[in-house]
Amino acid sequence: MMTNPIAPKTAHLAGPGLLAGVLALLAALLLTLALAAPAMAQTVRPPANATTNVLPPGPEMRGGVLGNRSDGAIWHDIRKGAAGESQDLRAGSGVLIQSQGEDWRLIRNQWVLPIAWKVLAGVLAVLIVFFALRGRIRIRGGRSGRVIPRFSLVERVVHWFVASLFILMGITGLIILFGRPFLLPLIGPGAFAALASASLQGHNLFGPIFIVSITALFVTFARGNGFRWVDLKWLLKGGGMLGGHASSGRYNFGEKTWFWWASLCGLALSLSGLLLLFPDHLPGFLQTASAEVPPERTLMQWATLVHAVAAAAFIGFGLGHIYLGTIGMEGALEGMTRGTVDETWAKEHHDLWYEDHKAAASANASRAEVRAAAGDV
Amino acid sequence: MSFLQLTQGPLWYLASAVFVIGVAWRLIGLLRLGRGPDRSVARRSGVAGALKAIALHSVPHGGNLKRTIYHFVTGYGFHLGLFTLLFFAAPHVAFIKGLTGLSWTPLPRWGFLIAAEAAFAGLILMWLRRMTDPVMRRLSDADDHIATWLVFIVMLTGCLALQEAHDSLRALHLLCVEALMIYFPFSRLMHAFTFLVARAYTGATYGRRGVTP
Repeated sequence: MMTNPIAPKTAHLAGPGLLAGVLALLAALLLTLALAAPAMAQTVRPPANATTNVLPPGPEMRGGVLGNRSDGAIWHDIRKGAAGESQDLRAGSGVLIQSQGEDWRLIRNQWVLPIAWKVLAGVLAVLIVFFALRGRIRIRGGRSGRVIPRFSLVERVVHWFVASLFILMGITGLIILFGRPFLLPLIGPGAFAALASASLQGHNLFGPIFIVSITALFVTFARGNGFRWVDLKWLLKGGGMLGGHASSGRYNFGEKTWFWWASLCGLALSLSGLLLLFPDHLPGFLQTASAEVPPERTLMQWATLVHAVAAAAFIGFGLGHIYLGTIGMEGALEGMTRGTVDETWAKEHHDLWYEDHKAAASANASRAEVRAAAGDV
Repeated sequence: MSFLQLTQGPLWYLASAVFVIGVAWRLIGLLRLGRGPDRSVARRSGVAGALKAIALHSVPHGGNLKRTIYHFVTGYGFHLGLFTLLFFAAPHVAFIKGLTGLSWTPLPRWGFLIAAEAAFAGLILMWLRRMTDPVMRRLSDADDHIATWLVFIVMLTGCLALQEAHDSLRALHLLCVEALMIYFPFSRLMHAFTFLVARAYTGATYGRRGVTP
């Protein structure tokens, strides 16, 4: 991901020390202005015989010996992205300063990054508070000692394949995205340079495998994840949190939302990631002519923003999924590790699915596990 | 002595010595076991049986393609990717040249990436199968998991050092490689050397009796 090495620190990262420094600087500036004001008032008026139309000293004007534009005007145009002439005939080669890049940098550093880390930190905080208040969601009726096959071997392999890559891509991506403001001050420039380089190489390498895995996830789990009326009822009951039993089929509203959320974020991450990996191999319809900004640069700028937003959305929701799938709910994880779930768990959380599959419940856990692996779910 | 110098110097020679001596010790030990006397009349050639077994056991056969397609694809993806990286990745070719003076044309970057993708995907998928399949999980022991994770970490640190701009990443990769080399002779990773011998032995034994294994 592109970063500007001279980018100023954004306001959200400044601590109280910086704020105090800025206030002190402001006070000093006001004091200086106040003291200097009488003297300035006496010196700004030019003498009566002053010449006012002489060009300031500097290099020869462009466009003629006498010239008709000042250096300031020329630099103003350059700053606004005016194109000059270059031996390099590729689009954008004549542009000295591309203002669009500054816009991109400001959006990334002052909007996307602060919002993204606040969202992720907020989700983590909510989960911690929820766990502290609610504790682990137990199987109310206790374990029955009988299990039902729930996820086939293919489903579990695909799930953990995505999960493995989610972790690899997530850690390396977060280092790339937030490393500069958070890690650089902690570990110093040398260690951070190595870490950032390693993260970038790893992220780029695992990206294509992630695309394959998320595609496999969609194909494997699409069936059964369409929304139904029962999901609306489940939502209105807050999944059972608001009191009363919330019925659901094989997947409840939250799981279905997670599936579609992950699929859409995965699609956005995949497309933007491909643009970032292969900017020089854009398809023909994207190769629009532009004298000022090469199309691949515009697309890369958009792609980095889309990539960051989609990643934060994916990881944020993913944290909730990981929480509920592990420490948040008793009996949930074994569905994805062993392929079977406890009968009481199935009744309490997926009663409609349980009604269709209760004949498969067995006290022989090993046999149920083999049946699940064989796809008899 | 810097961390890099340590991993390129003393640790490298130590790991190499353990690897070479350990592998030789294991192979010589296997060969010294010899084979029991077979007094039956040979019905077919043992050599032909050995070659047939090596070839047949390298691809799905006997109608078990559906059952083994997963391991076939992921296994070949991983092994071909790994050995392509080991012998043809540009940094490895340069390293081997520095050690032996021998050199050959390295892979272009796109070739490296394809090999690495195949190796990583294959290894991850094989390990996931080991963890999720109820039978394979019970058959697996610590050695299987340690070997898998060591290979994964070696591949990972190698790819993280791909930019070749930081000594610390190179040293980390070397350290992991050395750990793998020391572990190698005492683990099932030895199958890299023994799989041909084992298949040939079985094939020759059965082939001599006129049976296709």
